[in-house]
Amino acid sequence: MPAHSFRLLSLGIGIVKLLRSSDWLIVPGVLLLAFFFVAPTVEIALSSIFDEGLTGKHFERFATKGAYVEVFRRTLVRSVWIGILCVLIGYPIAYFIVHRSLRTQVFLMLLILVPLWTSILIRTYAWMVVLGREGIVNNALIWLGLIDKPLRMMFTTGAVYVAMIQILLPIAVIACYSAMTEIDRTLPRAAKVLGASPWKAFRHVFLPLSLEGALTSFVIVFMLSMGFFITPALVGGRKDAMLANVIAHNVEQLNWGFASALALLLLVATIIVIVVVRLLANRFVGVRSVGMAP
Amino acid sequence: MTVGGATVEFEKIRKTYGDFVAVDDFTLTTEPGEFVTLLGPSGSGKTTVLNMLAGFTDATAGDIRVNGQSVLSVPTEKRNVGMVFQHYSLFPHMSVLDNVAFPLRMRSVARAEARDRALKALAMVQLESTADRMPDQLSGGQKQRVAFARGVVFEPPVLLMDEPLGALDLKLREAMQLELKQIHKTVGCTIIFVTHDQSEALTLSDRIVVMRDGRIEQVDTPNRIYDRPANKFVAEFIGQTNFFALESEPSTGAGNLPELGSSIPLPESIDARAGGDWWVSVRPEKILRIAEGAERGINFDAAIDEALFLGNEVHYQASLPGGRQLQFREQRGPDTPLLARQAAVRLGFDYSDAIPVADTHPASA
Amino acid sequence: MRFKSTVLSGAIALGLAASPALAEKKIVVSGSGGGLAKVMTAIYDKPFTKATGIEIRRVASTNRVSLLAGMEKTGRVLWDVTELSGPEFPLSVAKGFVRALDWNLIDPDNRLPAIARDKYGVVAASFSTILAVRTDKLPKGKKMKSWADFWDVKTFPGPRALRNRPVENLEFALLADGVPTADLYKVLATKAGQDRAFKKLDQIKKHVVVWWKTGAQPIQLLSDGEVYYTSAFNGRVTKLAKSGTPAEIVWNGGALALAYYAIPKGAKNIKEAHAYLSALALDADRAAAFVKIVPYPGFAPGLYGKIPASMGKVLPTHPDNVKVQFKLNVGFWVKNTEALQERWDAWLLK
Repeated sequence: MPAHSFRLLSLGIGIVKLLRSSDWLIVPGVLLLAFFFVAPTVEIALSSIFDEGLTGKHFERFATKGAYVEVFRRTLVRSVWIGILCVLIGYPIAYFIVHRSLRTQVFLMLLILVPLWTSILIRTYAWMVVLGREGIVNNALIWLGLIDKPLRMMFTTGAVYVAMIQILLPIAVIACYSAMTEIDRTLPRAAKVLGASPWKAFRHVFLPLSLEGALTSFVIVFMLSMGFFITPALVGGRKDAMLANVIAHNVEQLNWGFASALALLLLVATIIVIVVVRLLANRFVGVRSVGMAP
Repeated sequence: MTVGGATVEFEKIRKTYGDFVAVDDFTLTTEPGEFVTLLGPSGSGKTTVLNMLAGFTDATAGDIRVNGQSVLSVPTEKRNVGMVFQHYSLFPHMSVLDNVAFPLRMRSVARAEARDRALKALAMVQLESTADRMPDQLSGGQKQRVAFARGVVFEPPVLLMDEPLGALDLKLREAMQLELKQIHKTVGCTIIFVTHDQSEALTLSDRIVVMRDGRIEQVDTPNRIYDRPANKFVAEFIGQTNFFALESEPSTGAGNLPELGSSIPLPESIDARAGGDWWVSVRPEKILRIAEGAERGINFDAAIDEALFLGNEVHYQASLPGGRQLQFREQRGPDTPLLARQAAVRLGFDYSDAIPVADTHPASA
Repeated sequence: MRFKSTVLSGAIALGLAASPALAEKKIVVSGSGGGLAKVMTAIYDKPFTKATGIEIRRVASTNRVSLLAGMEKTGRVLWDVTELSGPEFPLSVAKGFVRALDWNLIDPDNRLPAIARDKYGVVAASFSTILAVRTDKLPKGKKMKSWADFWDVKTFPGPRALRNRPVENLEFALLADGVPTADLYKVLATKAGQDRAFKKLDQIKKHVVVWWKTGAQPIQLLSDGEVYYTSAFNGRVTKLAKSGTPAEIVWNGGALALAYYAIPKGAKNIKEAHAYLSALALDADRAAAFVKIVPYPGFAPGLYGKIPASMGKVLPTHPDNVKVQFKLNVGFWVKNTEALQERWDAWLLK
């Protein structure tokens, strides 16, 4: 039997098998994903290296011209920090909420969700009202006589952090919260009755069991902040542009190839960070036991 | 591994949630090393009592003492009681060994010693070989034994068990009951065991505390609980029984059983006129088929409705001429004939097997 | 009236008005959507249809260069006329997406000023990036008059803002450094001139607290007192002043940017498109009506005779204002943006 007809046969068998199992139900999903996610990603990857023939010029431009490397580095470092800060702030909030009565939990989660329904632009502008020269904080400080000239809080890196954390924090809280609700409520109890102080019960039982949620929440916040550009552009200073700003600018200028190269770098960097975080987390397993395992 | 058991005293413990009284007037003192079971239907307050002893819940009033020391102001982790939960509550992220060593590590026992003692506790439940496995690789019975090893590894004077066998299937549960009894003998700690399964309570306990609606109905050894129930609720909850309405005869001091057309002598302590509803409880195995001339204290005619053949024993359901139904049991020898449906029989029981009980909760009767 | 006869003669010359086929003609005009489209329909399109029988179908569009690129690729040209913004216009010309116009059809009597006529486009609208000043924040008795004053932080202390891009800012810097308007792009074309502009910008850098990205930002900043002096789009400043904020435009040294109407290469109704462009460019009455609603005028001859002087003097194409501004050389920027933008980005981060 010629090779190609054999291949055809096995393909046929494969299809028949697929149709006989209920696995075929995922086919539309896979097609949709391929069409809307994989294909555009491949297209971006290709257009970053094909520009009237195979070329490395876009990556060369990134590495040698302008301040792209610096912006890239800053975007990465900032996103990692935003991720860490959101988890550090969001985790205790989620912890607090999950230990309330069910009715209070619903109410508090609603409060957490409300800001998500508000446009990022509006929330960003709201920060201007708070942090501006004639904003609430400055006016209060002047009124209290603590300062006599308004402080520069707006259009600083600090303002970018404050605004981005405020925007992304609800997502961090939700991710932590949903992981915490999965934890069997009798486990911390069991730890306590077996002699663990509240801190040790948290450290050895609750924390390791909710670590997954904290990581998820870091990863989501990190990914989102890698792609942020409205907020840094509106509340940041001249050194606060993020890579997404540069991508948007190049799309406007029809520099598709270069924009694709930048987008690809952003994607790869994001994936690398996520993988590294995963690996570190797996090494973290030490936290998970009381050290008896060989 | 031997532990001295502790004396646990509950003194007039009360627990309310708003208007709801979960536990009221709960007073009980255990002997060191005793196996005490709190038995009652769900909602009877037995788990609340356990939680107050563990420190998960605060008592509204009363006191709890372990070896004479009040524990109410001691935080859970310092109460030094072991606990085994209904759904095991093994830490899913720790190995079996880590789970069992956990209470020791929390007590700052050195690693090597903790390991030794944890392995010993695992050996006691014959699970030494699973030390390195994760809990989700164990069967239900294995998980239960690990939870037990974890509960006693730090040699607590008191071990609390909250329906620990409830999630196991019947066969496994019976095997575990035996094992539990043996281990209790070895360990020697005081066990306070919560269950709603009366046969489990009868099998395991030194004493049973029957609870209902937050109150104690009776505290006694299993056989006294079975033979001398304090009231109709206990008689009904423990084992199977037949109730016959009891009316006392003021002139003779005898009790009339109108359904059977007979009367029984009543002890002076019982005045069936004084309060409420009185009944006599007669266990099915006390009602016997009687031959002509071998009359018992109470004798009556009945017709067989149904026979359940169980090998060494037959369970019968029969009807009195008035239509009222009753159960009785018969031990079988090789030649005992099985009664057919509709067969007429003469049945009887002794006066001493008719236990007068009052229905002390007319509202819920 | 001279105007009417012009249109009429134009129409007759084209043989349009009389042609019965014309009544069924329809052209597709791509442009801004929303409120602006409604204004255009009411003021220009409906009267045009009435006069010529040519129906107008308006489509809202953005990212027009990529859309034109798409049409070029597929060979299906959907538009007969399209608006092109300042940067879109030279890009479309350079890529060959639009056709050369026949000016004899649009303006046979040569009435439009040279600035309004391009080989490939008719000026549709104009706006200016000007220096805007919070007058209440000025030092007593002082008035800001130029970019040199903007650079003078001793006389005029206070927070400033500029747009985050090299376009316009390099010109402003050279003006502040004393380069005459006429020589701007000659100087800017040289490496030395670019160095000179960046050097001048170094002086102001740390006084600029915001490098803005969107047109709404400088207005918000002025209104909040976040900055005292900033570059901004003229129309928005006028609106801000009307709403009560003491804000003023300094026309001197403003960068006049022009938006165009053009005809895509491969458009099907060339003659009708030209007729439409003619009506847009020349009709002063309609231009006056338009400008009363939208402060971005074209160069329709006689426009400023038809509107109040107070309104005229805050418009970018007012003769007095045109005189002191420079025309943004979009062609220069299309060629040099990439390199200068890179230098700008690096400079900002330093």
